[in-house]
Formats: sequence, C-alpha cells, structure tokens
Amino acid sequence: MLFEIFKFEIRYRLRRPETYIFFAALFLYSLIAVDSLFGGFPDSIKMNAPVIIARTMGIVTAFFMVVVSMVMGVSILRDFEHNMESLMFINPVQKSAYLGGRYLGSFVVLLGIFSALLIGTMLGDFMPWKDSETLIPFHFWNYLQPFLTVVLPTLFFGGSFFFVTGALSRKMMVVYAQGILFLILYIFTLQLAEGSGNQTSVTLLDPFSFQTIRELTEFWTPLEKNSQLVPFTGMLLYNRLIWITGGVLALIAGYSRFNFNVVRDKSSKKTSQTNGFKELLNEPSNLQIPTISIRFDIKTKIWQLIKHAAFYCKLILKESSFWVIAACAVATIFINSINLSTIYGVNSYPGTYLIISELIELSIFFFLLIIIFYSGELIWKERDSKFDQIHDALPVSDFTSFAGKFIGLALILALLLLFMVSAGILFQTFEGYHNYDLRLYFMEFFAGIFVFLLLLTFLSFFFQSVLNNKYALHIGVAAFLFTGIGLLNQFGWSHPLYLFGGSFLPTFSEMNGYGHLLEPYFWIKAYWFSFSVMLFVMATLLMVRGTEIGFITRIKLAKQRFTKPLVRTALGAFLFFVCSGSYIFYNTNILNEFSFPSTQKEYRANYEKELKKFEHLPQPKIVAGNLNVDLYPHERDFIAEGYFILVNKHDHPIKEVHIQKPPTNSITLHSVYFERASTLNNTFENYGYYIYTLENPLLPGDSLKMTFKQTFTTKGFEDNSNTDIVYNGTFFSNTYFPSLGYDEDIELEDIADRKEHGLEPKKRRASIHDPIALKEGMAEDDGEEIHFEVTIGTDKNQIAIAPGRLQNQWTEGNRSYFRYKTDQPITNFYSIVSADYEVTKDVWFQEPNEPVNLEIYYQKGHEYNLERMMNGMKKSLNYFSENFSPYQYRQMRIMEFPRYRSFAQSFPNTVPFSEALGFVMDIDDEKDVDMAFVVTAHEVAHQWWGHQVNPANVQGKSMISESLAQYAALMVLKSEYPQEKVHQLLKHQMNRYLKGRSNEEQQEVPLVLVESGQDYIHYGKGGVTLYALQDYISEDSVNLALHRFLRDWNSTTGLLKLQTDRYATTKDLLDYFRAITPDSLQYVIEDLFETITLYENKAVSASYEESSKNQFVVKLEIDVTKLRVNESGAEETVAINDWIDIGIYGTNEYGDEELIYLKKHRITDEFTEIEITVNQKPTKAGIDPLEKLIDRKPEDNAVTISGVRSNTAHF
Amino acid sequence: MNNLTITNLSKTYSNGVRALNNVSLEIPTGMFGLLGPNGAGKSTLMRTIATLQEADTGSITFGEIDVLKQKNEVRKITGYLPQEFGVYPKVSAEFLLDHLAVLKGIRKTKERKELVETLLHKTNLYIHRKKKLKEYSGGMKQRFGIAQALLSNPKLIIVDEPTAGLDPAERNRFHNILCELGEHTVVILSTHIVDDVKELCPNMAIINNGEVLLQDNPLRAIEQVKGNVYSKTIKKEGLEAYQQAYNVIAERLFQGRKVIHIYSDSNPGNGFVPIEADLNDVYFSQIFGDKSLSGTA
Repeated sequence: MLFEIFKFEIRYRLRRPETYIFFAALFLYSLIAVDSLFGGFPDSIKMNAPVIIARTMGIVTAFFMVVVSMVMGVSILRDFEHNMESLMFINPVQKSAYLGGRYLGSFVVLLGIFSALLIGTMLGDFMPWKDSETLIPFHFWNYLQPFLTVVLPTLFFGGSFFFVTGALSRKMMVVYAQGILFLILYIFTLQLAEGSGNQTSVTLLDPFSFQTIRELTEFWTPLEKNSQLVPFTGMLLYNRLIWITGGVLALIAGYSRFNFNVVRDKSSKKTSQTNGFKELLNEPSNLQIPTISIRFDIKTKIWQLIKHAAFYCKLILKESSFWVIAACAVATIFINSINLSTIYGVNSYPGTYLIISELIELSIFFFLLIIIFYSGELIWKERDSKFDQIHDALPVSDFTSFAGKFIGLALILALLLLFMVSAGILFQTFEGYHNYDLRLYFMEFFAGIFVFLLLLTFLSFFFQSVLNNKYALHIGVAAFLFTGIGLLNQFGWSHPLYLFGGSFLPTFSEMNGYGHLLEPYFWIKAYWFSFSVMLFVMATLLMVRGTEIGFITRIKLAKQRFTKPLVRTALGAFLFFVCSGSYIFYNTNILNEFSFPSTQKEYRANYEKELKKFEHLPQPKIVAGNLNVDLYPHERDFIAEGYFILVNKHDHPIKEVHIQKPPTNSITLHSVYFERASTLNNTFENYGYYIYTLENPLLPGDSLKMTFKQTFTTKGFEDNSNTDIVYNGTFFSNTYFPSLGYDEDIELEDIADRKEHGLEPKKRRASIHDPIALKEGMAEDDGEEIHFEVTIGTDKNQIAIAPGRLQNQWTEGNRSYFRYKTDQPITNFYSIVSADYEVTKDVWFQEPNEPVNLEIYYQKGHEYNLERMMNGMKKSLNYFSENFSPYQYRQMRIMEFPRYRSFAQSFPNTVPFSEALGFVMDIDDEKDVDMAFVVTAHEVAHQWWGHQVNPANVQGKSMISESLAQYAALMVLKSEYPQEKVHQLLKHQMNRYLKGRSNEEQQEVPLVLVESGQDYIHYGKGGVTLYALQDYISEDSVNLALHRFLRDWNSTTGLLKLQTDRYATTKDLLDYFRAITPDSLQYVIEDLFETITLYENKAVSASYEESSKNQFVVKLEIDVTKLRVNESGAEETVAINDWIDIGIYGTNEYGDEELIYLKKHRITDEFTEIEITVNQKPTKAGIDPLEKLIDRKPEDNAVTISGVRSNTAHF
Repeated sequence: MNNLTITNLSKTYSNGVRALNNVSLEIPTGMFGLLGPNGAGKSTLMRTIATLQEADTGSITFGEIDVLKQKNEVRKITGYLPQEFGVYPKVSAEFLLDHLAVLKGIRKTKERKELVETLLHKTNLYIHRKKKLKEYSGGMKQRFGIAQALLSNPKLIIVDEPTAGLDPAERNRFHNILCELGEHTVVILSTHIVDDVKELCPNMAIINNGEVLLQDNPLRAIEQVKGNVYSKTIKKEGLEAYQQAYNVIAERLFQGRKVIHIYSDSNPGNGFVPIEADLNDVYFSQIFGDKSLSGTA
C-alpha cells in the first residue's frame, strides 16, 4: 500500500508543472550562484574552491527553502485544498502508508528538484564567462561532498518539518509562511550571536550550515581554501546531527498528531442550522427596491478608485499571513537594532539616518516579500475566491479595477513605512536620543524606499497580469530581481537609463544633507516611474477579465480595451519617459562624459601601454607651492592658480618637463608657463599628459618656476558624481592639482583586468632594493619636502583649512578668504577643506614653553566625542614628544568631513576625520574601547611616522607609517586606560590580521616587506607584533629604538638622511630594534617581522596539589607547535626554542578571575610539562593566556584546573 | 422597452468543444427561461451576454448597445449571477454589497445604505449581514448572489442556474423576487429544472449541444405536443425493448416501477394511455425525442 501511494505521489508530481518550474529556477540560479554570491572575493581564492562550493550550496538551499516548503508542505495539504479529503480518507488506507508514501514520494521529488543545484553548480564552472584562471581543476567529489553533507541534511530537516506542519495545519498560508519564518529564525540567531560576540551558538545552530563553514574556515589561507574539502567533523558534524535529529523528531511528532478526521471547523455548521428555522418564519419582504442615482462621471471614477484601493488595503489587513510577515519584520528590527555597530564593536549614537538605514536594511527583505506575494494575491484575489465572474461584470473600467489593487498594495506599503517611522522614533526614545529628524524620516522612507518599492510593485503587477501564472511568478519575479540586476552589474552595464529603477536615495550626511545628489535621483526616478506607468497601461490592457485567458485572445481584446483615457495616460507617460530620459542622457553623457567600466579600464590600460616608457624619465622635484584656490561650494567649482618651484635634483640636465593633469573630466588645465622658454608637445592630450621641452635645459641644482591655472567645473549631473567637492564639507587633496611625469596610480590594478588587456600583474610595491624607488617617499616622485602657501576663498559662512599657520583671514562681499603658510617644510601632501564649522580650541604646551594650538572643526550637533578627541591629541602629543622626538608644528587640527568616505587621514598638522568615524560614536567606557581617542592618537602619531620620518616608497613602507602609528596609539591607550582595553583592541587587531590573510589576493608577506593594500598586515599584524616586541624587550627599549630611528632618519634633519638622498626602510628600522634587543631574544625580531610565524598553542591539562598551607603546586601540560609559512605559501613546522608566557589564574577577593602568575618560560619541545608553585588556590592555567602570539585558536590556550592530582590522573 | 437580440452567435473553445452554434434568440422584457441540460451551452451564452467571454461570430444587441463591443455600457445596466461563484472569505455581506454598490457607481452614501439594507431584507439576509461570507451556507450565499445582481436597478438581469442548491422555501422566495423584476426588465434565467421555467417565464428557449432547439411561449410549446404524449408503467427490465420500439422521451420511477412517456403521432395502444402533456414532456421530447418533433415546432 505504501509503495502504491509512493508511486502515485511521484507520478502525480511528475505531471505537475511546478515540479519543472522549481527545477528550472534552481538550475538557472545555481549556474550563476557562485558569481552572484562570491563575485567580490579575492582572486586568490578560486571560484570553485571546495569552501566556496559548500557555502554556495548552503546559501542557495536557504534561499530556496520556500520551494522545500511548497513541495513538502502541500503533499498532504492538497487533499484538503481540493476538498478531496473526504474521498481520500474514506478509503481503507493505513495512516502509516498514507503518510509514509506521501512523505517518501515528495522527498524523492524534492531531491530530484535539488539535484538541479548539484548539476547547476557543476555546469556553472563551464559557463563561457568563467575564466580558467579563477578555477581549480574539476573534481566531482568537491561538489558531491557538500551536497551530501550540507544540502541533504538541510533538506531532510526542512522537508520533514514542512511536511508535518503542512499536514497538521492544513492551511496553504502556513506552507508559504514557514519557509520564510525559517529564514527569519536563522537571522535571529545570527543577530543574537553577533551581539554577544559568541559565534559558537551560530556555528552549531545555523540550519543551513553555511555560517558554520564560514566560521570553521575563517582563518584558512587561500591555499588551504583552494585545496581542502570542508571536513565533515567537529562543529559541522554536530550541527548536521542536531538538524537531522530535529527532522526525525518532527516526523515522529507529526505521525502521532495526525489523524484522519475530516471536519475540524467547529463553528461553521452550527450557525446555519440555528438560523434556518427562524428564516423560514420570516416572510419574504415586499419592500420596494429604492430607486437610486448612478453616475459614471470622472469624479465618480476617482472616488471609486479610492474606495477600491481602500477595499483591497482592508482585505490585506484581514490576512493573517500579512500580520505574520509584519510581526517578523518588527521582531527582526527590534532584536537587531541593538547593534548600531560601527568600528571595533563601538556603537554609534542612534542618529536618525543610522536608524533609518538599519531599519531599511533589515526590513527590505520583508517588503520584497510583501510585494511579490501580495501582488500575486491581489491580482488573483477574485479568481482564487471564485468571485471573478461577478467582479469582472461590474461597470468599473479595467483601469479602476487594476489600479485599485495597485494602490491598495501601495497603501499597505505606506502603512508599514509609517509603522517603521514610529518604530525608529520609539527606538531612539528608548536609547535616550531625542533629536528626531522627521524630515529625514520622510525623505528616506517616502522619497527613498517607497518609490523603489512602488517601482518594484509596478514590475511585479506587470508580470503577474501579463504572464498569468501566480506560483511560477512568485519565484520568477524574485529570481528576476536578484539575478537580473546582479547580472547587469556583472557585465558592467551600469547606466541608470537601463538599470531598472536606478539607484537608491543618495547617502545622507548631516553635514551636507543629500547635497547635489538629490536632483539626479529624482530625475532618474521620474524616468523609471513614467516607464512603469507604460508597463502599467500594458498590464491593464492585457490583464485577464472574464473567462478568456489565452494570451492571443487577450492581445486581440487589448485593442478594444485601449480606451481614450488609457491612450492618453500611455502617451503622456511615453512623452515624459522620452523627455526625462533625454534630459538624463544630456546630463550624464553630453554635459559629462559617461564611460562604461570597460571603457575606463581600456583607457587606463592604454595609458600604461603608451606612457609607461616615461615612468623613470628624470623629472624635477617640487620644492615649494604657492596656490590661490577659489572654491565655490554651491556651484561645486573651484579655480586654482599659482606656482610650483621645481628643482633638478639629478646629476644631469633635464630637457623635458612632463605634466599630468588629474584624470577627471571636470578639471581643465588652462595654462602652464615656465619661467623659461618651452615648447609644448600634446601628442598625449587625451590622457591629459603634456610634454614641455625647455629651450635651455634645467641644470642640476637649478630651479624653475612653473605657473599654472586650472578649473574644476561641475556641469549638470553625472552618474557617478564627485563627492569630494560638495555644498558643505569639501575635502580634496593635492591629487586635484597637476603632477609631474607618469602617474602610476592611473594603471589598472586588478590582476584579471590587467590580464584581459594583456598586462602582467602589477607589482604592488617596488622592491626594498630598488634604487630609484628608494629615493621616493610618500609623495612618490613629485618632490617630498616642500614649502607651502595657499589662499583659499570660499563661501562667507564656511571656514577653509589647509596645512600651515593661518596667516590672515578676511571677507570680501559674500566670500571669506583664508591664507595658510607652513613654518617649516612639509611633505608634498596637503588637503583643502571647507565647510560651515563649529570650532573648539585648546592649547598644549611643548616643553619648555611652546604653545601648540589644538583645534577641532566639527558639524554642529556632533559634540559627543570632542573631549575624547581633544584629550587624545594632548595625550598623544605628550607621549610622542617625550618618547620619540619633539612635535614639529605649532598647530594640530581635526576637521570633520561628510560620510561619503569613512576614514581619517593625517596631513601635516591637519587631520580630516570622517563624519562616519568618531564624531557620532556612542562610547561606553564600561565595555568599549575609546575609539575616538585611539583613532585620534593614530592620526597624531602620523605626524611622526610619515611626516617626520618619510618612508621610502618600497616594500615595508606602510610598516613605518601605519604599524608604527598603530603601535604609538596602543602605547598612548596603554598609558591612559586599563590593560583590558588594550587587550580588547589587540584582539581586534589579531582578528583583522587572521581574517585578512585568509582573503589575501596574492601572497602574504612578512611585515617588513608589507606591500601596498595589505592593511591586514600593516594595521592588524603590525599592532600585534609591535605590542609583542615591547612585551619582550620593554616599552622603553622600543621607544629608545624609535627615538634613534627618528634622530637619524627625520626627512629634513635626520643625521643619516642628511647624508643620503634615499629614504628610510624597514631594514633600517629593524637595525634599531636589533640594537636594543638582548641576544637571547634576537629570534623574536625574525619571528615577528621578518617571517610569517604562527603558533598552535594549547593547554592539554592542568592539575594541582596543595604541598603545604597556601602552597599549591600546579602541573601543566602544554602542546606547542610553531609554524612558518614558506615561499610557496605552505605552512611548515619549525623547531621551538621560544620564551612564551605561562599563566595561572586564581580568584581575587571580589570573586573575579585574575592572573596570579604570569612569566615567560623557555619552551623547547612540542609537549612540555611544567610545575609551578603559587601561593593561592589556582583555577585555570595555560600558555600565552594574554594571546600575544599569533594563534588561530587562542580559546584552547588555557584549561580549567581539574582539581587535586591523584595517581590515576590521565596523562 | 428594449429587446435583447442574439444573432447567429457561435463559439468554439480552444479544446475544440463547440459551445454555441449559430444561436439566434429574441428576448423581450420579462422573464426568459433558457432550458437545457448541463453542458448545453447555457453558461457560455450567459457569460457572453455578461461581457465575460468573446464570441467567434455573430452579434448581440441590447437596444442601441452592441453587447460584444460596448462592454462597459452593458456592464452599467446588467446584473449578473453566475452559475458558480465564491466570495471574499473574510468580509461581511453588508460590507461587500456596499463595496459592489460603490463599483456600480452609486455615489450617495445614504442611497447606498438604503439600497443595501433593502436588498438584504429582500433576500432575508439582514440578520446575517455582519457575518463573514465564508460562514454562509450554500443557500445564503446564493441569496447573497441575487442581492448583488440587483444592485443598481439593472435593465438586464442574467441569472445562471440560480435555484441550484436552494431549498424549496428559498426557491420560492427567489421566484417571487424575480417575478417582481420581470415586470420592467429583461431577465434571463438559465436552468435545467423545467418547473422553474413553467412557473416563471412567459418566454423560453430550449438549448442543447450549443443549438437552440426551440424558442416559444411555454403554453404554446405544450400545445405543440398536446395529444401526442402517452404514458405507461412498465417493469424495470423491459425498458430497453420499449426504447427500441417507441420514441421514449422520459422515464422515471414511481413506487419502484418505471413510468415511461413516449411521443407518438397516433395512439400506440399496447397499454399506453394518453396524458396531459406538460412542459417536461416538451423539454424531454426536444432533448431526447426524435427529430420529427423539431419539424413540427
């Protein structure tokens, strides 16, 4: 019997179109899944690496959970849906056979459908767009193994669970909702885990296990990721077992709860019977039907439309499914809003724009769901409830009937958005934040997300009405949205005129509002809106009304239905579409130059091919700059004129001066004059590259004045608009001015892009032995130390800031002018900043009595962390001037700039600091590191590391600038804050390093040779290793070494620097470290800086014995493996002869755990047994308890002491 | 008053079923019965008049209105009760009727309220007006269907198998309402129950396999067969023999035995007795009878 039902089920499913639709959808998505999910992954990790395949399969399974639900959930339910249950259950079928047969049959079909995932992923690697460079050789097992270990258990659990809920609830809605609920449940656990910082629960409980895999392979190097399967052991195995058990339990519960009774609805029958008798007594009334007035004028039509929309709105509000989705969205928001995390786990103040972006990010999924689901439901509403014949014969126009549904859904969306606004305000209130920005709420939700949602609704309505197949379309519309847009981007087709809907509302900045970005946004939205109206008219014409459903018939009918108002609407929309489209095109492509990413890449490749020959052509260096910059913030223009003094620092004459105009079309270089006669060769004008031949060559040591005038002009709007020069908060650097010679920064960087254009991979940074690069510093090759003067004119209400001392400040009409001049040379690296600022000032005195002016320029309302930043400046200047060398400038300024970019950057005595970074951090001193303080300290440290010592432009450069700044910041933090804050920060640094190396694009290198772009090394590893160094040889020793390094290599006064024209390298730096390191610890320098060395430290067991009163002998067994990464990237075990911390914890009088013993022991073997006597009862013991060494699994470094030792204690 | 004129209407479905074959009918004001077995094409014809379906050829006019082209004009004056319909499950009768009245163009809230209340009283649903429609019994739902068809004082009422599923009392009440309407309106009533037509309709047509077999006044139609219908009570087993020998137009059981009616131009003898023909005999003779009758009709 079971087998009969099983066979019947399979045969039934094979006849159903959904089975094939699901298969096809899954197959098509699987083909492109890897590309769309892992498109941004580093090149070093191959696109078919086992880890990628496993995670892709996990994620795709999660996305298609709704399919699992639709397949498994309906297998019993459909008997009820089709009112077949009475017929089915009257047959002498056993419950076990009925349920078992249906379950097995459906599950086999489900497996068949999901085989599309396996096949699709495999075939995906052979698609024409794949590049064999990004793939490893094909291995069937790499695909099958994750399918069996990741997908199959998920399907079993999901399938069993959905089967049971479908059978027990007997409601189609449950089948829909549960697939979604499943996903939400998962988002919950993810959020909770993120909040607590404990990933173990997620690793264990992620039902799809793709997070488990991510966690397990987080610190795998690219080599490991490309070569190893995710082992089906440990956490992954437990995770899968948990969910398989869950599936079994669901089946058992389902089997015992299910019974064959048919009637479940208790109330429905009774009522009709009690009233039946009464009715018969009621004589038919002889009431006259009153005469009524019926109108069909335009007013009535509008009124009908409103009433109709309200009707559908009410219908949705009556759906329990709607409330389920809405409740889930609210729950997600409330659970999640707790984390407004920005950097290093520090929350931001719940400013309105942050809250809104959180709300939108969290809820957008639900909105999409509502649109996709309810546009189908509404369009099918009458047909599903069989009311269509009555409804379709009503005297309402096609438009009213269709638009009523559309507006009804739009009302629902608007209602939800209003709800979100209240949720946001409520959340802000709970957080004690009362600066609600209602205007911003309105903009973001209604001008922003609502418009986007409406456009999607148009699209969804169009497909639903034209294609006339509800279920296929739920999946079809979703697939279209996810893949269509992704694919367009993938191929680099990014013009807003054909990217449906255009972009989201531009970034809001409290400094600049939406700035100039709002106008193009509205144009593009208007353009797509008119397009959507045309779609809407087409959908109205083609929608099913009456019983004619054939597509051809509907097309024939459309002519009849194309009434005058519809014609007018379509025509109007078309006209507007063309006009707005033309206007956008005029702005983006005629006023401005639009180039596809591919065109841009080609331009850059050609630049390199044609001009690379000039790279090493000797050029004079800039030694002084004197500029007049007239900034017009509201026009977003500036005019710059002035001069550079160029000097020939080479030992032979220079005949040609090559000028590179900044590579943006907004900048026009109007004139360049040299003090002596020259001729211009503009062969390379299309690259903005001009060659001036001097009639009389510039002799060695000779100088030359170069005068120039350039403008930056904004015309109309562009697709990818400039956000450096804005209404309020302009910030740009000297890259906006002409430079000398070939500009390497224009070259293509991405390896794949370069290959496509026949270029070898680019060297990330010149070799540490490269004689030419050694003579370049931070400014690369335009000249390093310069005298600088600038006059900046700006709007009257704005303050303009550049490096140097403010000489003069005046206003003329409605403009303000500021003149800055440097007292001493600065690096050729300066910024121009202008905004309507508030200022806070203070003074710090450099010994003996030199005042240094401290200033913070900030946006009104961003006062939160000014004190921390000011304190950071003072404490840093104190520490650095005492320990490294005196501060070289008489001022130190921090200037806020809009959140289009989120970093802080240290220019000579000025630090532009992003609005997004430290100004709005809500620092809780209990649990957070004072990141405003740390970032400030880091930037101030750059005045030494970067501006006092200018590192040579070779490998290791950023160790000198960034790692030393990071070290300096850590030391200031250490001197001002408790030790655990330092450890908290170090832990972040360690994670940054370990995560970064696992995503390395090319190859990890030791710190001394750090390449450009390896910030995980120079920040992450740099901080950790320099901290470790001072732990080994003492803070004072390290600082002494740094002091000597500065003394010798200061770029203007350094003793050694004065004797050479090269700049300092890490080799030089290490010499100073070596000099102050005792012989026994010299190996540390090699381990930390010159090699990639990792440890696998583990405490195996620990026990203790109370030898006498208050004398406890702890016996600790440890396991130490020291690894080193060789040239090819593989890890090798190396011999140990290291000093490593051994620590023992006890309990202090407050009941807190604290280290009662911490001392470095010399470890020479892999397994070591150590005996230590402490005078307090020990609780835990371990190796490297403070995690100073690089160890991917520090959590096993300590063990709980197992108690009193006995003879039988395990070894 | 306007007549509904159907001329040479044909419709073939995409699956090849020929639902209407050259149908021509002239339907005057008053009740018009469309009689035919299930699948005869009644509903197709009704849906076509109600603007829900296209015809392949032919035309329908109602007064000045070309029904097949000026759909919206037709919809403004039509009340339609489909053979089978559902309702929005979660709304009440009163709420839905009010909304339908809105869609029919009744602007004034007061008028709408009065109209809805009257119709609810008339269909005896007033006490259930707040109840959710999904809780309605079959008969109540049918009455709701009638109420909605009467919104907006229609000039043309199309009711497709309206009495199916109604108990005798409900059916009776329904007939009363229809009668009242038939005084000023074209009411097309399709049914396979002969009594419905007999009780209500001054005009009728019999339709089968998409063709009109007869259009007439019921009394005149009965007149046609008068004197030609004979009845006999036979044993159940003997039916086949009789069917071969005679033009059997109806059979039914009476106290466990079979009563057959035959159509015959002359008295067949053999125990057959002439009977007073009724509309049933007309109907069955049209549906099952031989072609000779159509000739005489």
